[in-house]
Amino acid sequence: MAENQKQNYLTHPKGIMSWLLTLDHKRIGLMYLFGGIIFFFLGGVLALGMRLELAAPGNDFMSNETYNNVYTLHGAIMIFLFIIPAIPGALGNMLLPLMLGAKDVAFPRLNLASFYIYTLGALFVVYTIIAGGVDTGWTFYTPYSTTSTSNVIPMTMGIFIIGFSSILTGLNFIATIHKMRIPGLTWYKLPLFVWALYGTSLVQITATPVIAITMVLLILERLLGIGIFDPALGGDPVLYQHFFWFYSHPAVYIMILPAFGIISEIIPVHSRKKIWGYKFIAFSTLSIAFIGFLVWGHHMFTSGQSVFSQIVFSFITYFVGIPTGVKIFSWILTMYKGQVSFTPPMLYALSFLFLFTIGGLTGIFLGAVALDIHLHDTYFVVAHFHYVMQGGTIIAFLGGLHHWWPKTMGAMYNQTVASICCLGVFLGFNGTFFPQFLLGLRGMPRRYATYDPQYAELHNYSSFWSGILGLSIFIAIMNLLWSLRKSNKLDPGTNPWGAMTLEWTHTSSPPHPHNFEEEPVLEHGPYDYDKVIVEPTFKK
Amino acid sequence: MSHDNSSPDFLQHHFHDVDQQYETAKLGMWAFILTEVLTFGGLFVAYVVYRSWYPEMFVGANLLLDVNKGLLNTIVLITSSLTMVLAVWAIQQKKQKLSLFMLIATFLFAFMFLGIKYLEYSHKFEVGQLPGEYYSYMGPEIAHLNNPHIFFSIYFIMTGLHGLHVAIGMGLIAWLIYATAKGNLHSKYYTPMEMIGIFWHLVDLIWIYLFPLFYLI
Amino acid sequence: MSEHHITPLKTYLVIAGALFCLTAITVWVSYFDFGSLNIIIAMGVATFKATLVALFFMHLLWDDKKNLTMFIMSLMFLGIFITITLLDTGFRGGVNPEVEYPINKRAAFYDSLPLTDTHGNPVDEHGTDSHEGDEDHH
Ligand code: HEM
Ligand SMILES: [Cu+2]
Repeated sequence: MAENQKQNYLTHPKGIMSWLLTLDHKRIGLMYLFGGIIFFFLGGVLALGMRLELAAPGNDFMSNETYNNVYTLHGAIMIFLFIIPAIPGALGNMLLPLMLGAKDVAFPRLNLASFYIYTLGALFVVYTIIAGGVDTGWTFYTPYSTTSTSNVIPMTMGIFIIGFSSILTGLNFIATIHKMRIPGLTWYKLPLFVWALYGTSLVQITATPVIAITMVLLILERLLGIGIFDPALGGDPVLYQHFFWFYSHPAVYIMILPAFGIISEIIPVHSRKKIWGYKFIAFSTLSIAFIGFLVWGHHMFTSGQSVFSQIVFSFITYFVGIPTGVKIFSWILTMYKGQVSFTPPMLYALSFLFLFTIGGLTGIFLGAVALDIHLHDTYFVVAHFHYVMQGGTIIAFLGGLHHWWPKTMGAMYNQTVASICCLGVFLGFNGTFFPQFLLGLRGMPRRYATYDPQYAELHNYSSFWSGILGLSIFIAIMNLLWSLRKSNKLDPGTNPWGAMTLEWTHTSSPPHPHNFEEEPVLEHGPYDYDKVIVEPTFKK
Repeated sequence: MSHDNSSPDFLQHHFHDVDQQYETAKLGMWAFILTEVLTFGGLFVAYVVYRSWYPEMFVGANLLLDVNKGLLNTIVLITSSLTMVLAVWAIQQKKQKLSLFMLIATFLFAFMFLGIKYLEYSHKFEVGQLPGEYYSYMGPEIAHLNNPHIFFSIYFIMTGLHGLHVAIGMGLIAWLIYATAKGNLHSKYYTPMEMIGIFWHLVDLIWIYLFPLFYLI
Repeated sequence: MSEHHITPLKTYLVIAGALFCLTAITVWVSYFDFGSLNIIIAMGVATFKATLVALFFMHLLWDDKKNLTMFIMSLMFLGIFITITLLDTGFRGGVNPEVEYPINKRAAFYDSLPLTDTHGNPVDEHGTDSHEGDEDHH
């Protein structure tokens, strides 16, 4: 590595405008991270508010109306403003060109535009909150959403706009992955995170246009009474659900596929072993992305859709389990006989394996029509999707942050604190959401501010642990931020985990403004721990 | 990080060469076309579903549309597609003037399309063949059929979205006219013209479906 | 960029000619009633026209096949969307026939709409015969 490492993207160029108008994918990634964390915090506060209300039966803390607003905003903010943009927008932007050896993404200006479109959409959401909220649930089902007097239009406008940001990011990444690789970096030599982003991007560009048009139709339904989704006007509210879930089921793969990618990076590096079943993982990503388009009706088993389609949807839903299972087994086999070190990123990856497996398996339960008729709209579903989205995606995101933090920020956080926080997240998470499976099985419906006293004990338990969960995540993020203090800079040559993808081996930490001093030459594959030895280096 | 002197000024710094830049732009454009197809696709789904539920009403409401205007618009749009493709062809052949002429023709045809559409719409407004609750037309041809307002909702949304694309296309073509006239686009670098061309053909391609779906069957 | 494929002028003119002819054909055919074949013919011709536009005007014939794949993918996903949605909307009421088409009722606002002539002006009830009760058959 070259000696003159004075320049890095964080400090060069300087000035607030050089950030706001930057075309550098790394800075745009950081801005996404910043935006995402703000909304993660906001969504988290709303969640804790709900848990506070639910700690005991009765409306002790908020009214039913407020509660309806709070869960709607919590869901919509977490999904549309945090989880969907967070991993592709922040980590994806930051790492994709580095992993490809490229100087930037294919369309840097579009990249900046997509960040500002996200900001604009976020402003609409903020406006919705200020104007008094919206109470339809994040799914905006008709006919309630066409009659509700809350702020449905600004909220759906916000989602419509954010959709474009998502589309543009996906489009940009697809062009980048196809065209910006350095010579010799063939498809099977790509890090699996890149495959994951590729699958995600494909889903983003194919599914997101449909949510855009759905939101337009919903807005028109409210403004003009077009009648397409309104039974009073000869329309069909179930058609709205088809439209919504045609996007939103694939969207759960927009959320989870990049998380799979992060786990596929963390596990081999921290086990110092070549990934097991590279091609299995790569192609299972694509097949999950594809099968994800065929199963949306499993959210609609009680909607009155035809029995025929229920059977078809239920049947196909099981197929999602196959590629997902393939991945889980590949990761476990990667660790087998490896030198596993229990670093904070690895602890997050292990938590992911445990929690996501529970989430995925309960998803399979819900995919069975007969069972879902009973479990639909109960806390069982709430627990299921939190196990996959928080236990899966958010934990992987935190793991990824800890893994690439020294790379992107040039600083190392306190690893002991980080590990303790990870443990806190793991325990807090299970303590919060496992009781919700039991609540659901006992018939506790979702989206209610009050409940029968018989559910009090489990709810109380869940609320208690949710505090631990929130606190642990908060401290984990503070721990990361605290590492940024001036006295804590790492040597630019640091590669603390001994990783061997291009972003670790060929550029400094934090990276050069143009990514690489000169175009990297590929010397080995991303996981060749059996052939090459890359020593972990860690210097202050 | 600087390029050698031979690299042309339209080459952006993160590409190796002009070909890579061109191919990348084109792939991005096609990804964008995919999103467009699926945006309209949602509306096609609504069309198919409601047609399957109200077959007679669709056939009946169909007859309320003006086939002649629809046909005229089809011809106008196909012609504009031809002039667009000829504009690209001309600039490839270094025929700057011809290219400019073709772009202007395309712009004018687009304008004509919207003009004809305006006449159609204003007639519909007059007789009350409007979307949703605003529908009030109960003429003898249609009064016995069920819920024609849904047909007109779908008609207005699909042709309206299409018309919006025509308008956006006109804006883009106007910019192309400006750039070509200034000499920013030439036989070595005409990527924007080709990309906007692809967009314009998509607008044509969607109309190729809208025309029979609403006016003919 | 000079090495890019340049299509001869004649190709474009021939394709445009074909598009005009096909438009004429589909309009002409629409004046005959072939029953359920109407839709198939119209869509067949439209698809043929669309293929010509995509292959020649949009250059997919000569382009990198990735672009063609992208385009075909969009149609494939649209096909999935339509087909699977129809599995629901076309088969409702398989178990309880009485709930089959509960929503396809006439919207309530029609009851207050006066009958009109072909210019949209209200007319007298006696003048025209009304078929209020008729509904679509499925
Ligand atoms: C193994 C794969 C999975 C299967 C078989 C599965 C199955 C299901 C089913 C059948 C439901 C509907 C339950 C109901 O409403 O009655 C559901 C709900 C849900 N799933 Fe999954 N799921 C899987 C993975 C995921 C993943 C990876 C995510 C997100 C990262 C996710 C997010 C959700 C969400 C958000 C809901 C609830 C939406 C709502 O009604 O608000 N699922 N899942
Ligand atoms: Cu789902």
